[in-house]
Amino acid sequence: MSLFLFVLRRFGRGLLTIWFAVTVTFLMLRLLPGDPALAIASPNMTPEIRAGLLTQYGLDEPLPVQYVKYLGQLLRGNLGVSFSQGVDVTDALMAQLPWTLLLVGAALVVTVILGIPLGVLAAAKAGGVLDRVVQIVAVTGQSLFVPSVGILLLYVFGLQLGWFPIGGAYTDGTYGGEWYLSVVAHLVLPCLSLVLVQLGAYVLTVRSTLIEALGEDYVTLARANGLPHRRVLWKHALRNALLPTTTLIGLQICLYLVGGVILIETVYAYPGIGRGIYDAVVRLDFPVLQGAFLLLAVVVVVVNMITDIVYGLLDPRVKAS
Amino acid sequence: MTRASTWRRFRREPLGMGALIVLALLVFTAVAAPLLADYPSGYGDTVLTPPSGAHWFGTDSLGLDVYAEVVWGAQQSLLVAAAASLIAILFGTFLAVVGAYFRRLDALVSVIVDLTLSLPILPLMILVAALVGPSTMTIILVIAAFSWPEVTRVVRSQALAVVRLPYVDAARLMTSSPVWIITRHVVPAVMPLILVSVVLTASRAVLSAAGLAFLGLGDPNTWSWGRILYEAQQAGAMSTAWWLPLFPSLAIFLLVLAATLISTAYNDARNPRRSKA
Amino acid sequence: MPRPRLVAALAATVTIALLPACAPSAPGAAGGGKQVTDPTLTIATTTDVVNYNPLIGNSRSDYWITNLMYPHLLSIGPDGEKAPELARKWGYVDDTTGYYEIQPGMKWSDGQPLTAKDVAFTLNAVKRDAPAGTFYGQLTNFASATAVSDTRVEVTLTQPDSSLIPEIGFWGNVVPQHVFEPAGSVAKFANDGTTAGTTAEWVSAGPYVLKTVQRGQSYTLERVADYPLVEGGKPKAAEIVYRVFPDVNTEILALKNGDVDVIANTLPPAQVKGLRGTAGITVEEVPGLGYSHMTYNMNQPDLAKLQVRQALAQTVDYDAVRRVVLQGQAVSTGSSPLMPVLKDFYDKTSKEYSYDPEAARELLTEAGYQADGSGSFPLSFRLIYSLQDPVTTQWATLVKDGAAKAGVAIELQGLERNTYLAKTDAGDFDIYAGNFAIMDDPATNMALTYLPDGAINYSYVDDPELTSLIQRARVTFEREDQVPILREAAKKVRDEVYDNVMYTQNLYVAHRSEWSGFTVKPSELLSIVNPISLASATKAE
Repeated sequence: MSLFLFVLRRFGRGLLTIWFAVTVTFLMLRLLPGDPALAIASPNMTPEIRAGLLTQYGLDEPLPVQYVKYLGQLLRGNLGVSFSQGVDVTDALMAQLPWTLLLVGAALVVTVILGIPLGVLAAAKAGGVLDRVVQIVAVTGQSLFVPSVGILLLYVFGLQLGWFPIGGAYTDGTYGGEWYLSVVAHLVLPCLSLVLVQLGAYVLTVRSTLIEALGEDYVTLARANGLPHRRVLWKHALRNALLPTTTLIGLQICLYLVGGVILIETVYAYPGIGRGIYDAVVRLDFPVLQGAFLLLAVVVVVVNMITDIVYGLLDPRVKAS
Repeated sequence: MTRASTWRRFRREPLGMGALIVLALLVFTAVAAPLLADYPSGYGDTVLTPPSGAHWFGTDSLGLDVYAEVVWGAQQSLLVAAAASLIAILFGTFLAVVGAYFRRLDALVSVIVDLTLSLPILPLMILVAALVGPSTMTIILVIAAFSWPEVTRVVRSQALAVVRLPYVDAARLMTSSPVWIITRHVVPAVMPLILVSVVLTASRAVLSAAGLAFLGLGDPNTWSWGRILYEAQQAGAMSTAWWLPLFPSLAIFLLVLAATLISTAYNDARNPRRSKA
Repeated sequence: MPRPRLVAALAATVTIALLPACAPSAPGAAGGGKQVTDPTLTIATTTDVVNYNPLIGNSRSDYWITNLMYPHLLSIGPDGEKAPELARKWGYVDDTTGYYEIQPGMKWSDGQPLTAKDVAFTLNAVKRDAPAGTFYGQLTNFASATAVSDTRVEVTLTQPDSSLIPEIGFWGNVVPQHVFEPAGSVAKFANDGTTAGTTAEWVSAGPYVLKTVQRGQSYTLERVADYPLVEGGKPKAAEIVYRVFPDVNTEILALKNGDVDVIANTLPPAQVKGLRGTAGITVEEVPGLGYSHMTYNMNQPDLAKLQVRQALAQTVDYDAVRRVVLQGQAVSTGSSPLMPVLKDFYDKTSKEYSYDPEAARELLTEAGYQADGSGSFPLSFRLIYSLQDPVTTQWATLVKDGAAKAGVAIELQGLERNTYLAKTDAGDFDIYAGNFAIMDDPATNMALTYLPDGAINYSYVDDPELTSLIQRARVTFEREDQVPILREAAKKVRDEVYDNVMYTQNLYVAHRSEWSGFTVKPSELLSIVNPISLASATKAE
């Protein structure tokens, strides 16, 4: 299949996923018990604003008409008006998005940098003691309750040792180079919390994929040809094992991280979308909750699309056309 | 690959056996809660005291015994996890098996599964729980609703393989009732996978439920591990009263760890080739 | 293929080497005498600023920050008496005319003078545009305001009201006419600084003016050099930064670490003792100005009976609530709506309802209810409370348990704040549990709470005797005449259980010990973050 078609298919699939997320949200609000108007217009709003919103979303009209109006609003980039903040949801979320991207991105990078060597180590010495240790550590991470880990890290490294600042995304009052450094300093602990909790899954996947790859015929063939074990491991098996895990990076980790990000940003007072979700939950600010979910779905889809395309570029089977 | 040989291999794996014991202990705690501790209610006079002879896990911000809260919380947390995963597994397996058997449905099922698995589900769970209002039923249904695709995905690939096996084709010649074929042949073949799924889905459900409770979306009328953590957070006690977040977090940790280790050990026991290079 | 392990190790080493250098250094311990010049005061808060227009207040952070820019005419002293702030003198010329004399020589931060015209404009605009909020609610008997000189405002009332002048002086902020008037309706003006051009700019009367906003992270205010209302005329701290921490646990860690200097929101009762004992942290006591209470909805047929209300009042273990939930930080008012902090009004003879479930049972039986075999009466009530109020959430369970002992079932319904407010307004409850943070003027407060058309009459009481007492109090201008009338009204409220006032809570706020000079004022809205306090705070070397 040609590269162009490949990209087109991935793009199409991404759009389909976003459409699915949108439709699920729409149906959820209309089909769950309760007045859907309550999810769009806060009781605090003045009657005129309420009436305006209800017409905008066509809540008194038949379901298909509502759906069309809803899609129309989304296409215009209108995610509704926040109950608690009185601003457009889009504006509120867009201001928070960069910080979440930074946090999730950093966690992603660290996970990969740490995960590959650990997974390879475990696979190379599969069945042995080192393998067991890596497995246990990996599974341990997955079983942790994120907010508890967050507070613990803050307490030990922030308060007791004083190595890192507590709360916020940067130190106020710093500029230029100093500001960038403060951003990094504030990023370490939340990033570490995220990595700890989900590194395990990545390591285990790398390990199992590599074990299967090492059992493949071409590897046996390479060994039979007398290639040294190490070279076989790194050059052949790893390259083939890495390709599927690249896809895995895009999707599984992203999803896991997005879930953990909500709790982490709350504990670390990090001003990202996860925080926005927490504030919205406390105030039952439904437009923000909806908008955040849709935005996060879009982010995940986009990242997934990019990594799939990168995968396509790397995979010789796709390139050859 | 017989059941007996699988069990033998499983028994030899110390991690798996250890995890099984831990899991059994937790289940026992949940079931035997009334025998192990009094239901925590009302208030106590010593507020936020560290673990001592009188209160093994210390007391919370209302002076109640944390040990009792963890024990009774086990009942609620395991109940939610079991119920949610049961629903997810029944529904998920049903769809997977039906989709594998009836080729036309398969496309639709796999598309829905893929799409759902591409979405960040925690924000979605939060949205639904916030909309409907916190209660035990809500939590169970919300978690189940977003856990079934993972089950379907796992079971489906195995079910597809089974459906193509010769003995299923033979069965098709003997009877035209799909129900009979599905229940007698396909389901038993995917049963091991379902068992693993039960354990994994249930443990993930515990984490999801605790996360929701921590955000204030849990059932405020029953004690659960997530609720202990929520109360600790509200009282500003998470860093000052270490016992309050520690014990419920430890309980969650042990449950999820045990569940994952059991399923890994079980998988390794079923398929020894996969565990060695 | 690069050697990922080597690269990773290298990156890790470099990062770890750099990071401690980036960490902020912990501030020095409180030393002797020497003060830091032009320090920055960092204050932690749990909520973001929702809107910058002080006439439509919303979250606490809104109040705290806008109070630093838009002055109040009056403040309040530790004895609960109104004290001067922008206004140096105030009172009545006659029964329907009041006045304020404001501080001369005040300026807005853009150089424009702050005169009586701004005061008059603010009052008239609020009356005209009716912005949602407490300020407008205070203006029922207000007709108009006129600036008769640069420093004197005269207010015309529609009918005699002895509380109007002190109340609107205390509650209302004065806004700059030249900024708010061009915007049209003050009820709709966002005042987010964007009107001034591309960079957000605010006009403030001091002591501080908002300069930078990073939503979800911080709000930075700079000193206004000339602030006559503070001693020395110039605020000590050069900059104030409000930082947002949604989780109080992280706030506490940040305070201990020195990342923040003050926690503005009051501490959860259980944390007070621990923080008091922490080195480097000072805990200040802020007298409460309001009370926590339950009201029994008298529209409900069972609750309309006095005996039922009396019975319910005797099923609450008030002492346990104060001892356990409030950790001894609450004080009984004797079940009277007159606060102990209001020394002139407080009635020491008022006795609190006793906790006696058996007596409650007798009362219910007398009222004609029959208990069944298991001791339960056919009575069930729905109690609503706000989930955002952790203290009420905790004692609500104690209330339920106490009622169960007397055979009465209470169904707890914890609600999110907006739903809670909506249900409260609609009267959709049997028992309401909540608190009024500021009940500073008994006459006004009772008018709002116990008059049949009162805005916060949550018991739906309509007692002609009580109504006439309250109305008389409102037109009695002499304190010594007013007090006995109000005490009689309070006694009636207590005896008829029109309101079950459970306690007044003393609040505690924490700050780092190297900071001092805070002026404590009652209530969480003022506490140590009121303008005079923040302008006077200094930091030791």
